[in-house]
Amino acid sequence: MYDKTVRRRRIVLALLVVLSLLLLTAYFGEAHGGRLHGVQRAFLTVVSPIQDGANKALKPVRDLFGWVGDTFNAKGQRNELRKQVAQLRRELVAGQAEKRTDQQLAGLFHLNQLGVSAYHPVAATVVGKSPNIWYSVVTIDKGSPDGVRVNDPVVNGEGLVGKVVAVEADGAQVDLLTDSTMGVSARIGTSNATGIVQPKVGDPNTLLLQYLPANTRANKGEYVVTSGTVASPDDSLYPPGLVIGQVTSENEESAYKSVNVRPAANLHNLDVVEVLTAPAHGAASNLKSLIATLPAGQSPSTTASGEALASTGAGG
Amino acid sequence: MSSSTGSAGLIARVAALAVVVVFFQIGVVSEVPVFGINVDLSPLLVAFVGLLCGSMLGAVAGFAVGLLVDLALLQTLGLTSLIFTLIGYWSGRLRELRDPQAALTPLLVGAAAAAVSLVGYSLMEFLLGVDAPVSFELLRQIVLGVVVNTVVAVPMYAIVRRVLIGALPEDPRRRRRRRAYTTGGLSPLSRA
Repeated sequence: MYDKTVRRRRIVLALLVVLSLLLLTAYFGEAHGGRLHGVQRAFLTVVSPIQDGANKALKPVRDLFGWVGDTFNAKGQRNELRKQVAQLRRELVAGQAEKRTDQQLAGLFHLNQLGVSAYHPVAATVVGKSPNIWYSVVTIDKGSPDGVRVNDPVVNGEGLVGKVVAVEADGAQVDLLTDSTMGVSARIGTSNATGIVQPKVGDPNTLLLQYLPANTRANKGEYVVTSGTVASPDDSLYPPGLVIGQVTSENEESAYKSVNVRPAANLHNLDVVEVLTAPAHGAASNLKSLIATLPAGQSPSTTASGEALASTGAGG
Repeated sequence: MSSSTGSAGLIARVAALAVVVVFFQIGVVSEVPVFGINVDLSPLLVAFVGLLCGSMLGAVAGFAVGLLVDLALLQTLGLTSLIFTLIGYWSGRLRELRDPQAALTPLLVGAAAAAVSLVGYSLMEFLLGVDAPVSFELLRQIVLGVVVNTVVAVPMYAIVRRVLIGALPEDPRRRRRRRAYTTGGLSPLSRA
């Protein structure tokens, strides 16, 4: 009897482990549109309304926990915010003068066509979030019928949040800036030097702006904004000038400089986001048409100039 | 109540608990970071199911909860199942071999489950080819994650035990132990 129980227990364990390994191998080996991915998306379609309902029903509980945490942090945040207000007032005065100049330049090159509103933002509610540090993903309640597509940028009121990586009828999956697969072309607000923003591994509160020229100067508190291109094989465009975060410190390196960046968007507490659903090709064609309108002799080669022009727009 | 009815009731309670905990985790707990860390209730649930119900049900519950988490969060299918199966089985074997009764048992089992879960995730991710250096920050996150999950382990154990206790079959060893004390066989008072 005892032998039978032991044998059964070991067989069950072996079966479960083998089944897990088979699932893991099959899932990892198949394409994104494969059968297991399809099962996963079908499951998401089924549970999405439940998640949505549970999310709304449990919001008071979440808010209660959030309120307790916020209370502890409130004093420190107040002092920090007072300093920021004083600094922002000073920057506002300087910024207003710069704004007039920038508006004239933007009007000259018609770059206002590349504003965020031109990307048809679609508001979405976050209905699910991965709990561990390896999967920086959230699930939103807007999908393909709303015009959401893979690689669409996702923003909130504070800045860039991430990009869409999977879309279904009832929802979509969004990789956050802190996901290991993310890479966003960016630059420091006062500098023209561009680099790639990537997550700092193991630290969900920090990003790294890498591959900056060694002589780049980066001051603490400076804003890091999108330069207009992403470092993915699709080469789709983010709108230029979206705030990604603020510089917190510089790293000492030899060939390239990198700086630590604190994300502007609070990625731990996302409730409502906006998906910029305008096609990337539309933005690219906008750029091409703008390049075509440049005076003769200034029309540069297509790709590099498109990125350069987007970077110029970011300054505006 | 027959034995088959009893185990069906136990399985139903474990299944209901798993669904509630996973959705509560996704909807609430993941949204409330503690010291910058998100508490993960799922490995704690699996470990305590194993600790209360044995290795077989612990392993099956671990596989099912892991699959549910992977499906709901669009994660790599089978990864969480594998780790949680081992956690559930291990905690069940702990009960079957040692039957720990100390008050600190849930705390230690919770800490171990959190550690296995976090380290297991990291190792599997490296094995699957995530291009990432082992940084001090990663180690800090793992240590903080274990500490925070350990703090949550005690109330989590109380909840799991309260839900499952009515359907748990009585352990013969515990029954013998209780009878021995209540009938005076081993009681120190009886020798006085």
